[in-house]
Amino acid sequence: MSDLAITDMLIEERFAEDETLVLMATTPPAGLTARFAGPRVRTFPISEPAMVGMAIGAAMTGLRPVVDLNRASFLPLVMDQLVNHAAMIPFLSNGQYQVPMLIVCVTRDDLQLGPQHEQCNYGLLMAVPGIAVVVPGSLADLCGLARTALRAPGPTVLFVDRRIEEQRGISAAMGTPPIPFGQAARLRDGGDVTVIAVGAAVERAAMACAQAAQKGIQCMLLDPRTLAPLDVGALGCAARSTGRVVLVDDGPGAGAPAQLLACLSETPGVLDAVRGRVVTIAAPNVPVPSTPVLERQTRPSATRILRAIEGVMAR
Amino acid sequence: MSPRIGGAAVERGLHLARAVERFRTMCLIRAFEEAMLERRRAREVVGPVHPCIGQEAVATGVCEPLGERDLLVTNYRGHGHAIARGVNLRRFAAELFGRRDGVCGGVAAGHFCDPQTRILAASGIVAGGIPLGAGAAMSAQIRGTGAVVVCILGDGAMGAGVVHEVLNIAAAQRLPLVLVCEHNLYQSGTRTEEVVPDLDLTRVAAGHRVPAASVDGNAVDDVATATAGAVARARAGEGPAFLEMRTYLTRFHIQLDVPSNERRPREELAQWLARDPLRAARDRAVLAGAEPGVLDAIPGVVQAEVDGAIEWARASAAPGPADLWRDPAGGAR
Repeated sequence: MSDLAITDMLIEERFAEDETLVLMATTPPAGLTARFAGPRVRTFPISEPAMVGMAIGAAMTGLRPVVDLNRASFLPLVMDQLVNHAAMIPFLSNGQYQVPMLIVCVTRDDLQLGPQHEQCNYGLLMAVPGIAVVVPGSLADLCGLARTALRAPGPTVLFVDRRIEEQRGISAAMGTPPIPFGQAARLRDGGDVTVIAVGAAVERAAMACAQAAQKGIQCMLLDPRTLAPLDVGALGCAARSTGRVVLVDDGPGAGAPAQLLACLSETPGVLDAVRGRVVTIAAPNVPVPSTPVLERQTRPSATRILRAIEGVMAR
Repeated sequence: MSPRIGGAAVERGLHLARAVERFRTMCLIRAFEEAMLERRRAREVVGPVHPCIGQEAVATGVCEPLGERDLLVTNYRGHGHAIARGVNLRRFAAELFGRRDGVCGGVAAGHFCDPQTRILAASGIVAGGIPLGAGAAMSAQIRGTGAVVVCILGDGAMGAGVVHEVLNIAAAQRLPLVLVCEHNLYQSGTRTEEVVPDLDLTRVAAGHRVPAASVDGNAVDDVATATAGAVARARAGEGPAFLEMRTYLTRFHIQLDVPSNERRPREELAQWLARDPLRAARDRAVLAGAEPGVLDAIPGVVQAEVDGAIEWARASAAPGPADLWRDPAGGAR
């Protein structure tokens, strides 16, 4: 599997409950293979487009396939199947066919895997109607969201940053019940600045918010958790109440942050309340380099986020 | 039935009925395609029409051996396959007219699907539907339904990587999958021989260890026999097959308001017109013992069927603006 131990555990847990579940992987996890030897755990050649396309056909005919895509960087390989087929078939078929399938992939690591393996590219899928885009920002949310993803009615992509998987507290996190899609988590209350952070950046944003509080700036911290469907109501409400917004992501600014901002700007009252006091803190607009000194710079630090919070406060 | 009627007589009767039915299906497809080209020029059909005129024998012969549980994946040139599979002709015409009573509520047009006849997709992406079919075959294998999946692709799709991926996987996993390649010598306006090293496409499947055969795609009997064999093998758990159906589009690749600007070598076109699959099917029916009078009446009967479907489609309402926002999973978006 994608070395995602927790995701593997959650899939295995669901495998026992849902006999329509099928895992399609180039290297299925040994535990699952041992426990569920048979046609539902399938080993594939390295043929990502065919794997995703086959998952669609299986999902249309009564199964619930999970595709281990390994890296989110491989998403561009499968875009025809995902965008032109999985996302469109429920609409094109007038609801006669549903496509309950899940793709699991790792966004970033800290292993210097290079630009072709290190990408937070979920923003690409926010521009595609019909796909649920799930980006957990904590270990507990990963468990709760993965459980929902394994029961979702349509095509779903779960993007996991390895830093989330490496957080402490696995046994407590494993007790998280399914978390509904489209519900942002409010991680901190405050009336001065709304900080919206995605994925592994949530942890650093929380640190920055704590540091800001020591300086007398009270931040409201939100994690959308699913970028599609997006909890526009909660994000818009927070932005209106504070009148200041900082968007934080480890991916490119033109990805998730730009689209979050576009959604906020369409929410009544937000633009009037914010009046230009909005900043995006994202990865620089370059591929993620392998060399550690440069790689580190592509993740917004808590210090950068704090400076942004102070910046919007000063306006 | 009287026990005195021997097996040979029954067999002759079935043979005759099958030959007449094949001719009738092919006439229906031809009449429908001619009508859709005309209705497109009148701007009643929405989007492009990719007529299968010249390839009716493939559609008819491939769908004949399929049972109710079997599944089909077609492509943007899929009218003939849907008709041969028994799609409701009125609702199918309404779909191509973009009307609410269409098989997909009018939103899909030529990229339709039809769960009633177990058509999974008519993908508009060349080769895009092939892995869907392989996935449905995997699903049949896992669930033990005994269903076989047939995917229909053109020779143009053989250049797409995903077809090679599927051939490899289908062979390795012994999927109950039959790939039928309508090898009509062109991909869009380009002659296939200009872009492949060898027009024999069975070599591609054979390279992936998928049993492959080349069939005269204008001879409906040959198409049906080859498909029945491949389907039976797949159903018995013996894995996938690839059938190359040699055929030809005697009109053109695509028509919007006017046909695409294609030039076919005159001699080549004349040769294929001389091998018209409908005429061949009629000759076969006569050989099987059909009365010429019965056969001569068929074109009129199917024309009335097509005309009736068009009238019905015309009477169906267009979707309303609110239909754009309907949630395919039910309820509003």
